[in-house]
Amino acid sequence: MASRTLAVWENRKVVGLLVRRDLKVKYQQSVLGYAWTMLEPLALTLVYFFIFGYVLQADRGIPEDAKAQGGYILFLVAGILPWTTFGAILSEAPRAMITHSKLITTMKVPREIFPMATVGTKFVEYLLTWPVLLIFVFALGGRFSWEGMLFWLPLAIVLTFMFGLGVTLFLSAVNVLLRDVERLTRILTRILFYGSAILFPATMVLSSGAPGWAKTLYELNPLMGIFQMHRTVWFAGFEELTPSPLALTSAVVGSILMLVIGYWTFRRLEMSVLKEL
Amino acid sequence: MASTYEAAVASGPVIEAEGLGVKFAVNRRRKRSLREMFIHGNKRDPNAEGNEFWPLRDVSFEIAKGDCVGIVGKNGTGKSTLLKMIAGVLLPDEGKVSVHGKVAPLLELRAGFNDNLTGRENVYLVGSLHGMSEKEIDERFDDIVDFAEVKPKFIDTPVRHYSSGMKVRLGFALISQLEHPIMLVDEVLAVGDKAFKRKCYEAIDRMLANERTMVLVSHNEKDLRRFCNRGLYIKGGALALDTDIDSALAAYNEDTKAEIDERKKKDAAKKKRAEAAEKKIEVEEKAADPAPGDAAPEQPKDGNEGKDGGQAA
Repeated sequence: MASRTLAVWENRKVVGLLVRRDLKVKYQQSVLGYAWTMLEPLALTLVYFFIFGYVLQADRGIPEDAKAQGGYILFLVAGILPWTTFGAILSEAPRAMITHSKLITTMKVPREIFPMATVGTKFVEYLLTWPVLLIFVFALGGRFSWEGMLFWLPLAIVLTFMFGLGVTLFLSAVNVLLRDVERLTRILTRILFYGSAILFPATMVLSSGAPGWAKTLYELNPLMGIFQMHRTVWFAGFEELTPSPLALTSAVVGSILMLVIGYWTFRRLEMSVLKEL
Repeated sequence: MASTYEAAVASGPVIEAEGLGVKFAVNRRRKRSLREMFIHGNKRDPNAEGNEFWPLRDVSFEIAKGDCVGIVGKNGTGKSTLLKMIAGVLLPDEGKVSVHGKVAPLLELRAGFNDNLTGRENVYLVGSLHGMSEKEIDERFDDIVDFAEVKPKFIDTPVRHYSSGMKVRLGFALISQLEHPIMLVDEVLAVGDKAFKRKCYEAIDRMLANERTMVLVSHNEKDLRRFCNRGLYIKGGALALDTDIDSALAAYNEDTKAEIDERKKKDAAKKKRAEAAEKKIEVEEKAADPAPGDAAPEQPKDGNEGKDGGQAA
């Protein structure tokens, strides 16, 4: 285990190379390039704002005082941007090993490198969404707070990518042996999108008439806590928009667990995967 | 952990294999591997014994520094599998292989090339992936392009527009620049036209001159005799012989000859049987003309007869 970690560290350059290659290929082939990173979430935000905010009035879950700090639109943007990244991780995770089969079967590097490169690419793309977010923050009068910047933001980012890496390790290995996983993931992504309360404050679900066990189950979804944190960064201090202790715990524990399970599965299946590629 | 990642340079053998074996599940392998993982752990499922196939088992050898070893054997006897295990890209189910030193794998020459990147970008990418520094590639870039015979105007074109020959040439040119002490070569000498082949030979000679170790899998006797001083003959998934290359090739040729004779005999017997069956049918047809017996396994020599038989049946 320790020697393996060391081997991964020694090969960090390879991760960097693969990340750079992926970004280069991605932005080289499109005319608008980087603009897509902004346009896609922007379009989504507009659509969701119209349907959920305007028609279905999901903005009623936002506390009155928070409306001066960006309100529902900032809430949406701050959730959709990291979700776009996370959704992209989910959609590429099953292919993380398969697309590199040629390299994996000729290069002796720790195989974890390849899922790590996939997640690494997404991390860079996430950082590239920050200018968009900041534009919204300034335009809507969002407020920077110490609590948000120093506590919620680092925690949210670390947990998002920890969970993402765990999922990628898991899915990339399993999908080589069982290609159905790819399709299943697509459905799960949809479900998780609504299950993680991206479009509406989680309190709206928790204060609804749903049975208690269902609410607990809802809070146990680690992603819900994680994406709540992404928004708490801008709405620190509002209890309705801060993860509950249960959601916070399940986010932290769930992410660590996901990483452990993902890595364990990956190592366990490694031999079969290599034969199959 | 069966394979080691450390690249410690020892004074002993460069490559050591001990009781190497690898198994593939023949049937329902996907289901089984998942079940193995969740239920049975590493223990083997006793019911699935019949579904296993060992392409390679109980193979042990040592390769010293400076050796050039040729691996010979029929198709599907596990030569490439063995090479992959030495390269560390396939993990053995049994035994252990330790390799001391970095490995330059000439296994799949186009590996790592991304179709959307230019030739130049790919050279830098794959070179770096194999551990070359940017400076080293800078120094050798012109040599690589020159060796690969890629025209300068194409080097900044995406690789997807290259011909397959160009890609392979570029791959070989690049990998042959690696200065790793161990080279694994899997039939890649069969690439390119005559002129390029000659250049490849020269490049390999040059590489071998530097006390480097090479393991070569090939079906080309001339190649094997030219480079190798030692031969491993793999037969039916096991190491049959470990001698000099001429003896290994001789044994291989003998077995091949025996096999061809065997097949000739079988073919002859088959032919005889077919002829006999044909005769029998003819006799039967003559005996009971309107209803020719059960459909002949071999087409009767006259197509009309078959048709008539079909109508009658």
